[in-house]
Amino acid sequence: MTALETYPIHVGQVTRHVPLVETLPGMKIPLIEFLGDVELTREAARLLAPKLPEETEYLVTTECSPVPLVHTLAEETDRGYVVARKRRRAYMDDPLIQEVPSLTLGSSETLWLDRRWAERLLNKKVALVSDVVSSGGTMKALEKLVAKAGGHVVARLAVFQQGEPKEDFEVTALYQLPIL
Amino acid sequence: MLGVVRSYPIEIGGVRRELPIVKVGEGVAVALLNLLGDTELTEAAARELAKRLPEGTEVLVTPEVKAVPLAHAISVKTGVPYVVARKTAKPYMINPVSREVVSITTGKPQLLVLDGADVERIRGKKVTIVDDVVSTGSTLKGLKELIESVGGEVVGVLAVFTEGDPRDDVIALGHLPLFKPEE
Repeated sequence: MTALETYPIHVGQVTRHVPLVETLPGMKIPLIEFLGDVELTREAARLLAPKLPEETEYLVTTECSPVPLVHTLAEETDRGYVVARKRRRAYMDDPLIQEVPSLTLGSSETLWLDRRWAERLLNKKVALVSDVVSSGGTMKALEKLVAKAGGHVVARLAVFQQGEPKEDFEVTALYQLPIL
Repeated sequence: MLGVVRSYPIEIGGVRRELPIVKVGEGVAVALLNLLGDTELTEAAARELAKRLPEGTEVLVTPEVKAVPLAHAISVKTGVPYVVARKTAKPYMINPVSREVVSITTGKPQLLVLDGADVERIRGKKVTIVDDVVSTGSTLKGLKELIESVGGEVVGVLAVFTEGDPRDDVIALGHLPLFKPEE
């Protein structure tokens, strides 16, 4: 077995040597995982907190990897948060639904938001929060979902932006992730 | 009765909530606990469960996704690391190990997957499983088998609530009854 190729990632005072994965032939990206990493999660939340506009009332994210980060940020900044799910759950009542346009054929994704949680966002100022944003497709879909719920997006935050930032969809990211 | 929301009152570590009672299948309704989005309740539950952590626990394992903030918060309070068992295999996983369980609630097969790096964090270790609600125990059984199949030793199970039939193999902060759906 060949040794795993790694790449050093810094978040504030925390350094991780993360695996480099080849997503397309000749294109490698560092693979960040916040799940299971309390130290990295807390450091990222600490650094994101000052980026949150004062007026923000709710944080909104998608399952699953950003959840501990958003929980920590919500607790630290005393805001509520809502998680859009990627599968319909049996208990969901009249959920809001938003398709995520797929980058590759046949792998589309759907975001689901139970009406009970959607109602919390009505007329609220919302910050979208993610761990890693690349094409921005998921975050764009999340923004549409928040609009359907009657919320107003005041910020788009991420720890990492992967690849070139999109001119028509600006995300405030702490760090750029290289494509190698 | 239209317009009347049925709910069930709970208290965890001094934090009170009215859980909505929702229908989840033919003839079955549950009191819906959702820790996602409720930092106050999550932190209170984590505080109480951290006190009850089985001695010798070296790693926590939780299924995605509702119990993830709880496992994170217990990990912060106890210093014991946590691992998330995913419900789908991800393309980026290296040497993942998986197990299929059939959910009694939905009747659908459910996959539990550990990434290879997480397998190494479990192998030879004393493991405590963390979940929000243990009901039929199908996820719990699948997770136990998965952990044991990669060489982990399950020393305990922590949950906020057990549900349905009382059980003594789970350390829980309370018990939720099942309900009949309203006609």
